[in-house]
Amino acid sequence: MAYTHKHTTDIVRAGLKKRYKREARFRRMGLAAIIMGLLFLSMLFISIIGNGYTAFWQTFVQLEIHLDASVIDPDGTRDPEIISAADYGGMVKKSLREMYPEVTGRRDKRTLYGIVSSGASFDLQDYVMAHPDQIGSTIQLWVPADDDVDMLMKGHFDRDKVETERRIKDNQIAWIDKLIAQDRIESRFNTTFFTAGDSREPELAGIWGAAMGSFFTLVVTLLLAFPVGVATAVYLEEFAPQNRWTDLIEVNINNLAAVPSIVFGLLGLAVFINFFGMPRSAPLVGGLVLTLMTLPTIIIASRAALKSVPPSIREAALGIGASKMQMVFHHVLPLAMPGMLTGTIIGMAQALGESAPLLMIGMVAFIVDIPGSAMDPSTVLPVQIYLWADSPERAFVERTSAAIMVLLMFLISMNALAVLLRKKFERRW
Amino acid sequence: MTTDMTFQIGSGIGLPEREIDIVKESVSADASLKVSRDDRKTVGEITHNDARMTCRNVNVYYGDKHAIKDVSLDIGKNEVIAMIGPSGCGKSTFLRCLNRMNDTIDTCRVTGDIAMDEIDIYDRKMDVVLLRAQVGMVFQKPNPFPKSIFENVAYGPRIHGLAANKTDIEEIVVTSLKKAGLWDEVKDYLEEPGTSLSGGQQQRLCIARAIAVNPEVVLMDEPCSALDPIATAKIEELIDELREHYTIAIVTHSMQQAARVSQRTAYFHLGDLIEVGDTDQIFTNPRHQLTEDYITGRFG
Repeated sequence: MAYTHKHTTDIVRAGLKKRYKREARFRRMGLAAIIMGLLFLSMLFISIIGNGYTAFWQTFVQLEIHLDASVIDPDGTRDPEIISAADYGGMVKKSLREMYPEVTGRRDKRTLYGIVSSGASFDLQDYVMAHPDQIGSTIQLWVPADDDVDMLMKGHFDRDKVETERRIKDNQIAWIDKLIAQDRIESRFNTTFFTAGDSREPELAGIWGAAMGSFFTLVVTLLLAFPVGVATAVYLEEFAPQNRWTDLIEVNINNLAAVPSIVFGLLGLAVFINFFGMPRSAPLVGGLVLTLMTLPTIIIASRAALKSVPPSIREAALGIGASKMQMVFHHVLPLAMPGMLTGTIIGMAQALGESAPLLMIGMVAFIVDIPGSAMDPSTVLPVQIYLWADSPERAFVERTSAAIMVLLMFLISMNALAVLLRKKFERRW
Repeated sequence: MTTDMTFQIGSGIGLPEREIDIVKESVSADASLKVSRDDRKTVGEITHNDARMTCRNVNVYYGDKHAIKDVSLDIGKNEVIAMIGPSGCGKSTFLRCLNRMNDTIDTCRVTGDIAMDEIDIYDRKMDVVLLRAQVGMVFQKPNPFPKSIFENVAYGPRIHGLAANKTDIEEIVVTSLKKAGLWDEVKDYLEEPGTSLSGGQQQRLCIARAIAVNPEVVLMDEPCSALDPIATAKIEELIDELREHYTIAIVTHSMQQAARVSQRTAYFHLGDLIEVGDTDQIFTNPRHQLTEDYITGRFG
């Protein structure tokens, strides 16, 4: 009561400047934090994209190949089995020898054969199988260049270095220059990267195998984790009595969310593979392991979603005589669904990016074939990235970055889906 | 302190006119005849000669807290009974005992007998779903389902299987909306979400939803506390009309409202039922000192 009106305004005014200063400082700090975050993020993106965008192109070399009928189909049967068994590697080599008649000596010849990919003979085989009528004629065929040639063309190898310090030697450079002069070398969109499985040859390696592996793994994870997670959350949140047991379960679920993922991998190895005898390296087991890993995330998110449904809706339902189950399934669950879906998608995104537990169950194996089901051995995108990052060839560096870009694309689109779902189904009270 | 308050009331500061009338009347009554403030036995006639619900020695505990202390009260057929009292006095708790909404609170324990048409509703064999179909409830905050207006009203009859086919459901919805006085306002917007209505309309929708199940008793827990005076007037009018078909128990903070809509009034104080009686008598000539304190605005 002692303060007069004048007093109060004077005191407030004296402190005002300090208050505003503090607020401005806080704002600046927040802004700085955001800028720093964006800076790091853009650095990450720039480095990945800068390293990886060239992987979407691949150097091709045009060869002039004589499809010698006496080699491919000596009896003229046109039997696919006989055609496919011909020595296409020899034809590719012959074509190269004819293109560079000056190359003699076994070592030089072997180096010469190395400027096209070892996959060239398969391309030739495919071509002949598709066009048996051209046997006997001479064709111009574009085949992928070797990864070293590709790297040179993309400028990743420095021509000016001393010969002994670079992977590609002077004579190879001369051959490539001849190809360039003859317009027999060009860069094309790298479809192999998106359609092939893994390979030891960078120019033949693709991510489709890993993408399919990831797909099957995630399907298994989603099919198991979503229903089990939602059912658990609904039971714990709506039906379970509050006692020591449910408290214990709740604490354990929260703890499980913090367990390092590699532990789940060990568990999967011990239980699913060694005890139940499930196949190694299979997306089925990967999915089971990732289910264990994602369940806590889904349960916690779903429970939060259920909790956020206002009690007034529950009361309204109960008040007109809905049973508990009707209340949950008619009113609470539909309202909580967007939150549950968001949690599930975030859990799935986590599972998609997970590699450690999958190493434990053998999904790190070198698998060339594209898996056709959840039982086939396969690998997943993050593990593929890990494998390529581990490979010494320069061409795998860009493929690693490209694979990261693909993985990030999936993750971003999954998160965008989560945001969209939330926006679409969000209700205001 | 007390003198201060009396002075304020006398000078009419901050009190609506109606209340001042009450105050004047009650002040004229002889104060020495009142039951003293320390006496917590219920004053007035707790029984009703045509009772729909009878409550005897009801006690409610929330954990250790004794929220309702030994309350006995009858609720008569086709009457509107108002429950008034200061915040935290247990009037809402008591109301929620009548359709066992307290069951949803884990720590809540109810003892004593509450019977509806002479059937114990806290009996083991009593099905709460059946009970709540007979005893509907309207809540403090309008809480329509986030579904269409039609679905809001149709939900109750549908889950209880009250209608055999679509035509029946439509009929129930129309009748209920008409009874709730909402039909003319929403008949062209039945597919709009219930949450798009105004507060007063939402509350009438909730009343329509409650009566669509054709209950015998409707409990209203401060149904107008979130509404403006015009919406409140509509609801009060509605309550008066609904009395013809239903028994209504209403909890309210507004004494004017209790005076306007109810035939009987029960005054609760800190978990005790202090006084029950005809509304006119309670507001003009309360027999308990605490009741008088409350209605004259000395506290609460």
